[in-house]
Order: sequence, then C-alpha cells, then structure tokens
Amino acid sequence: MELNAALPNQVTGVKKRSTFVEIINRLLILIAGFLVFFPQVNPGRISLKINQNTSLFTTAISYDTITASLARPLRMKWVTPEQFYTLMAGAAILLLGIIVCAVGACMSLGNNRMKKRASFFPLAGSLSMLGGLGVIYYSYTSVLATVTEAGKLNNVQPNFPNGIYVFAVVAVLILLSSLVQMFIVMRRTSEAKMEMEEKYRLFLMFMPVLFLTFLFSYLPIYGWRFAFFDYKVGDTLSMDNFVGLKWFAYLFENPATRMDLVRVLRNTLIMSGLGIATSWLPIAFAVLLAEVRSSKFQRFVQTFTTIPNFISWVLVYSFALAIFASDGFINNFLTNVFGIVSDTDYLASADNIWLKMLLWGTWKGVGWSAIIYIAGIAGIDQQLYEAARVDGAGRWQCIWHVTIPGLMPTYCVMLLMSIAGILSNGMEQYLVFENALNKDVIEVLDLYVYNIGIKDGLIPISTVVGISKSLIGITLLFCANRVSKAVRGESII
Amino acid sequence: MKKNKANIIKRRPIDIVIDTVIIVFFSLFTLICIFPFYYLFINTISDNDLVSRGLINFIPQGIHFSNYVALQNVTDLGSSILVTVARTILGTGLMVVVSAWAGYMVTKQKMWKRSFWYRALVITMYFNAGLVPWYMNMLMLGLTDNFLAYIIPGMVAPYNIILVKTYIESIPASLEESAVIDGASTPRVFRSIIWPLSIPILATIAIFGAVGNWNSFQDSLLLMSNKPQLYTLQHRLYIYLNTYSNLGAAMSSSGGVSNTAIQNMLNTKVVKYTISMVTIIPILVVYPVMQRYFVKGIMLGAVKG
Repeated sequence: MELNAALPNQVTGVKKRSTFVEIINRLLILIAGFLVFFPQVNPGRISLKINQNTSLFTTAISYDTITASLARPLRMKWVTPEQFYTLMAGAAILLLGIIVCAVGACMSLGNNRMKKRASFFPLAGSLSMLGGLGVIYYSYTSVLATVTEAGKLNNVQPNFPNGIYVFAVVAVLILLSSLVQMFIVMRRTSEAKMEMEEKYRLFLMFMPVLFLTFLFSYLPIYGWRFAFFDYKVGDTLSMDNFVGLKWFAYLFENPATRMDLVRVLRNTLIMSGLGIATSWLPIAFAVLLAEVRSSKFQRFVQTFTTIPNFISWVLVYSFALAIFASDGFINNFLTNVFGIVSDTDYLASADNIWLKMLLWGTWKGVGWSAIIYIAGIAGIDQQLYEAARVDGAGRWQCIWHVTIPGLMPTYCVMLLMSIAGILSNGMEQYLVFENALNKDVIEVLDLYVYNIGIKDGLIPISTVVGISKSLIGITLLFCANRVSKAVRGESII
Repeated sequence: MKKNKANIIKRRPIDIVIDTVIIVFFSLFTLICIFPFYYLFINTISDNDLVSRGLINFIPQGIHFSNYVALQNVTDLGSSILVTVARTILGTGLMVVVSAWAGYMVTKQKMWKRSFWYRALVITMYFNAGLVPWYMNMLMLGLTDNFLAYIIPGMVAPYNIILVKTYIESIPASLEESAVIDGASTPRVFRSIIWPLSIPILATIAIFGAVGNWNSFQDSLLLMSNKPQLYTLQHRLYIYLNTYSNLGAAMSSSGGVSNTAIQNMLNTKVVKYTISMVTIIPILVVYPVMQRYFVKGIMLGAVKG
C-alpha cells in the first residue's frame, strides 16, 4: 500500500511523508545519541572502580577519567593500560557507529535518491556499534581474566556493564528497522539528483547549534533527579536511596537549614533590594553628565568611569585589598599624612557589609549602566526641547518633562528585569569578598548553593534550593513580562 | 566655551553654582574610578622597600620594572597565562563563528519549525537548571579538569545570536536574493555576503566575548579542582590574594634569577599588585578599541528576542 502511494507522488513531485519504519529508525538513532551521555547505561563501565558518573562519551575521550581510581591496579600490573585503551577504542567505535547512523538519519530527510544512499548508513553504523560493543566485551573479559589470575577481584571489581545489553538491543533494532527501510526505498523510483527540501536542509544546518544548546542548557535539568535521592558524591542512584520529597521537606523542617535559608534569603533580598532602590543612579548620572557643556569633559568622564566594568570581581577585590586592607592605601595615608597610626582591616569586618557591597557594585557598574541612558538622551528629538523652551520651560523643567520621560521606557525594562532576577545576584562578588567574619551577612543564595553544594558536597539539598530558585525565577520573569505587556503593550522577553 | 557665549549670558548665578557642583562631582567620581589602577601601578614600579613600608601613596619613587621581570619565577603563573590566552582566542573565535552562523540560520523563515527552535534557544538566557545540576552535567560529560570546558559551553551564546540576527535582518534581503539567483548555496551566501556585511556586529561580540573570557573565573573555580595547571589567570590571582604567606616561599623555592630580584619580590604585597597589573593590562590595551562598540555592546543586555 505504501508503495502504491509512492509512485504517483513521485510523478507529481508532491512531498511524500516519511514511512512509519523510517520514523522509528530515526527515533532509535536519536535515543542511541542521548544514551551516549547517560552514565547509567555506560557499556564502558567494566569495573566498579570506574567513576559511576562516567558516560560512554567520557569513556571514549578521557583515559584519565576512566583510570582515575585504578592507579594502584595499573601500577601493580593487575590490569594493563592496553586493556583500557582497548576499552576506549571500543567506546570510540561505538560512538562512531552512532554518528554514522545519525548521518544516515539526517540524509533520510532527502528525496528518494538520497534516501537510498542514506539507508546504507544506519546499516553500517549499527554493525559498527555491535563491533564496538564486542571490543568493549573483549576488554572486559581480558580484565576479568588477568584480575582473576592475580586474585585481586576486590581491588579492581570487574563488572559486566548492563549498558552492553541496552546498546546491543538498540543497535539490533536500528539494524532491523534500517533493513526494512532499505527494502522499502529500494523499490521506489529515484530522481536524477540527490536533493532535500529546503526546510529540512536549513534545519540540519542549524542542528549542531541546537545540539550544543541541548547539551549545556537542557541536559542539566536531568540533574534535578539528585534532589530525590539520598546522594553523596560517588554513590550510585538506585531505588535503595530514593527518598522522594524528603529533601524538600527537610529544607523547611530542619531548624538549622531553615535558619540558614532565612538568613541567606534575607541577604539576597536586601542586596537585590538595595540594587533596585538605587537603579535610578545611572539615569541621574547620564542626565547630569548631559548638563555638562564641554563634550571633551563628557567623553573624559565616560571613558574613565566605564573602565571598572571591564575588570573582574577578583581584580576589584585586589583593589579593595590595596586600598582598604591593614597595609593598604587608607591606613598608609592616615599614618603618613596625619600621623595617625592605623592598621584597621576594613575588609575583615562585617559592619555595613550590604552597603559596602552596594558601593562596590555602584563603583563598578554605574558608568557602564549610564551609557544606555546617555545614548537614550542623544536619541531624544531636539525639537521637543525647543518646544519646551518656547513654552517657557527652564533647565530643570526640560529635564523633568522631556529627558526623564524619554528615558522611562528603557528604565522600565531594566527595572522589570532586575525584579525578575531578584534571587540571582551572581556569586562572584560575594565569593571574593567573603571571609569568616562576614560570612553570615554576605552569603547570598547563589553563594549558598555553591558553598553547600560544591564545597560541602551536599548535592541533594543544594539541588533542591537550585530547583526552587529556577522555578521562582522563571515565574517572576513571566509575571514581569505580563506586567510589561499590560502597562507598555510590549513584552520584555 | 566661547562659542556658547549666548548661553553663558543667559545663565543665572544659581546655574553656575550647579554646573560647578556637577563638574566637581564628576571629577571626583572619575578620580575614584581610576585611582586604584594608578595606585596599584605606582606601587609595582616603585622601590620595593618603600612600598613595603607603605610610603608610596601618590608619587612613584625609585622607578624600576624588575618586578614584572621577576614574575617569571612565580610558580604556575605561566601556565595560567597560557590557558587564559588560549581560551580567549579559541573561545572567542568559535563563539563568533557559531553566533554568526546561528544568527543567520534563525533568520531563515523556511526552516522546519523555526520559531520553536528559536524560542528554545532564547529561553535558555532566562532559565537555567541551577549551579549544582549544571556541575553534575559537566561531570557527566567529562568536562571537568578538561580544557575543552572553557571552549565548548561558551560557543552558543543566545544574547549574541539575537544580536547578530537583528543585525542581519537589517541587511537588505535583495543582496541575498541576487546571490541565490546566481546559484549560491546557503553556506556560500553566508561566507560571501552575510559574514562580510556583519563585521561591525561580529567585532562587537568578539571584543565583549574576549573580555568575558579573559575575566572568567567561575568555571575555572568550579570545574578544574584537580588540575591546577588549567586554572585561569583570574583564578590564580584569587588564590594568590588569599594566600599571603605562601607566595614568598613559592617564589624563593623556584629560584633561577639573581638573588636581589627574589629578595625584592619576597614582598607579597608587591607580588599581588604586579600580578593584578598583568591581569589588567590586556583589558586596558583593548579598551580604546572597545569604546567604539559601547553603544552596540550595552544593547547586549537590553535586546529582546
């Protein structure tokens, strides 16, 4: 039936829909592509000593990672580097097979001539996948043999990875479906040239970008699973340590973490609040600078007040040390000029830390933030000013009734964005200025997640905090967008 | 000032006072902005003994540049500079190429499910899974303790893609059409028409990307914990700033240069200042070039999709 339908379509040049088998084939290849990045199904984990977070992809590219915990067995010659090179080679052949399959799946979007050519790829690719699995299995048996011989099963813990079954099943299914697909397309008449519809061609050319986006922006969401497990670095996730929503409840029920959370949220909201409360400063900066008559002076000020924006927070901290540390400028100045012996370390105290952080942020950012408003002022129609002056407006009335309203739309967008980002102050500034004395008041949410998650290794609880923050952040953003649409009739995202 | 005579006459005394206040204010603020740079610099070129006694406040004394020469003895600094330079060049280059290509592709209305993919790309600017899941993901991909972690994740930068897209949309469509009629393929159109015409915007994203790469600290801190030779310069500086005392030891053990230079360098304060200056200098060098792109660059933060 499929074939009967095919012929007239070819003649009239109407685009024929993909066959069912073809879609299954592509899906299987897509699944195989995803599985490459999931450590749970890594067929290359031939020893339990190999880090359980190692995916097939890592196995194929990083010798250091797979042998990280096997230094001693390697040194004692219970296992040999060759066995692991074989393992890497097997993983690489497997990966190559998947890539070949993927090329075929992409080509199968073309016309019949292209489909015919394309149908060979998954065939070759799935065979290569099976070959790669064979090589991995060979390296497993070889490791098992030498280790058993040395009697060191406990030190190396050879392990038959279940991933081999998973990949073998996928490879066989790809093989079968591509054979069927081949059988179907071979009976079709083909065109003179290999061609592909433009929409698919464009999509395939854009796909690498999407792939990278998926890998680094969407795949991390899969990491949210850690929030539901009793997980410590190096553990395996299984039903044994599945704890459901325990950590979510823990966060609010455990008095210590609840206190921490309240403290951190207070810091976060105060710092963001101060930032929002002073968000008019760049406008004032721009408006006042526009009042200066000498354009040379304007350029001079603009040039030098913008520089701090381009240095990192680490350098800002270096400056802070140079100026405010006990052997810094302020103390030296007091000693040398006024004869007051002083060695106060202004950075060590927690006094007014919120204000200090705000001032550093302002020092670094106000010149830069003002640029958008300076550009905005330059863009205001001069006729408006003339008209205002004719109506008798003075200098301040011009500012108040022409300049400020002209800058308001930009300011609104900025304000809404900063309200949407109220929970994310970034961590660099607070990390560099953090010390034992001011930790309680300087720790914002981002820094807290870093401190408990990466430093202390409390993966589940920090993931819970991260998830909540992400969800609240996106909700706030959509609310801000809704407000913007309602008030200004324009969306901000 | 002379040409504005008419205006000056109209000014009332109160205006003059206000103008003076404004000028004084801006002069002071500018001074505050540049003073730390100046202070650090004069302390790195002045006599080290005077510096350690805290006597160099405004005017350099006993000018010499041996501190900069002696930096070659600071352990691990060389590898950090190498890593940072490499990531700045490679990372920025790839980011620009990918942004240009992606920016061009998303202008193609004919692409299969274009608006869906475009939205999926843009939403990543506002949404992220969180620090720890991101870290676990990098761990899973094998991008920890790996130089590629500096390059690959930064290749797709949604802000920059939107910026390029907006710019390309302003290029007259007829240029592209005529090339297509002459038989140019999509990559050919990109290479011969879109790329050359988008140079202004590509220069903007390149220069801001380069500064971002040079200043990068967080990824090094999070991902390179077991490979100190892959630390970026900012990370290295952060470590030096936080380890006052060990620095002198690290320097004297490495040896190789005349003793006087080492003796001079033993002053950790000077070492910190000098390393800071080395980190700043490239920024100051590209800064005049950057200024030309400011107005376009600030739009980086204010574009909409």
